[in-house]
Amino acid sequence: MAEFSWEVRSPLERALVAGPYGARGDAGVSLTEIRNFDLVQVMARRGKAADMAGAAKARFGVAAPARPEAVQISDAALIWSGPDQFLVLSKGGKHAIEQLSQAFASSASLSDQSHARVLISISGAKVRAMLAKLSSIDLHPASFPIGAAAATSMDHTSVTLWRGNDRTDGQAVFNLLVFATFAESLWHTMLDSAAEYGVTIARSEELA
Amino acid sequence: MRITCPFCGERELGEFTYLGDAKPARPAVDAGEDAVFDYVYLRDNVAGAMSEHWYHGGGCRAWLKVTRNTLTHEISVVEPAAGVGAAKVGA
Repeated sequence: MAEFSWEVRSPLERALVAGPYGARGDAGVSLTEIRNFDLVQVMARRGKAADMAGAAKARFGVAAPARPEAVQISDAALIWSGPDQFLVLSKGGKHAIEQLSQAFASSASLSDQSHARVLISISGAKVRAMLAKLSSIDLHPASFPIGAAAATSMDHTSVTLWRGNDRTDGQAVFNLLVFATFAESLWHTMLDSAAEYGVTIARSEELA
Repeated sequence: MRITCPFCGERELGEFTYLGDAKPARPAVDAGEDAVFDYVYLRDNVAGAMSEHWYHGGGCRAWLKVTRNTLTHEISVVEPAAGVGAAKVGA
């Protein structure tokens, strides 16, 4: 049998070119791909929603999100993804699927999505103007505060969008999870919509 | 047209897919051929309030039961379809 060597590569390996893009001058939008994260989909089994909520509380110390919101704990984010389901986003394997399987063994089904999604962090002074071209969600701070989340579509592509903690300079941060195979297409669409404001493109290993 | 998803809030039509009449109920196993024919093929052409199934595939991926007026497009009720999320059907 042939020997295979598997190399983990980002779906944005070719499309992402770090550096400035679009209009010159101070960049209005910052696009950062965050790599190497652990992402687990947790879905309650039939009639087990309350059991799953209890298991989440015992495992994470906070209630699982029951409405569109992202709950930040010290080393993970619990992101609502639909009725009776949420995503666990973390780094370093502490909340990877093997570590969570025991806690949810009797209440929920888990699915490892770590390599099935691309995580893009979007910020900058023009972030809302840029996202308004792609999304029908009202991202005004009064309607979409820190911790707000939405399962929605951008450019006909399903995405999970949530607002993280502000950057140290006070700028809002929007995080976006998109299916890996749609990521390159959405990436180009985002570059197009952000180009007029000037873009700073980067990749990072740190969760925002 | 916008639909207010009971889970996500008000969203544009593009996030939803129309399935059709929510009224037909699967007949019993021994109901006979006519009942099955009716269930599979025969549909009312409602002018007025109609109960419909819509799928929020561009959002939370929940099935919804929408009461829509086919003459005005006015939507009066949006509720989760039976068995949405981890809910038990008929519970």
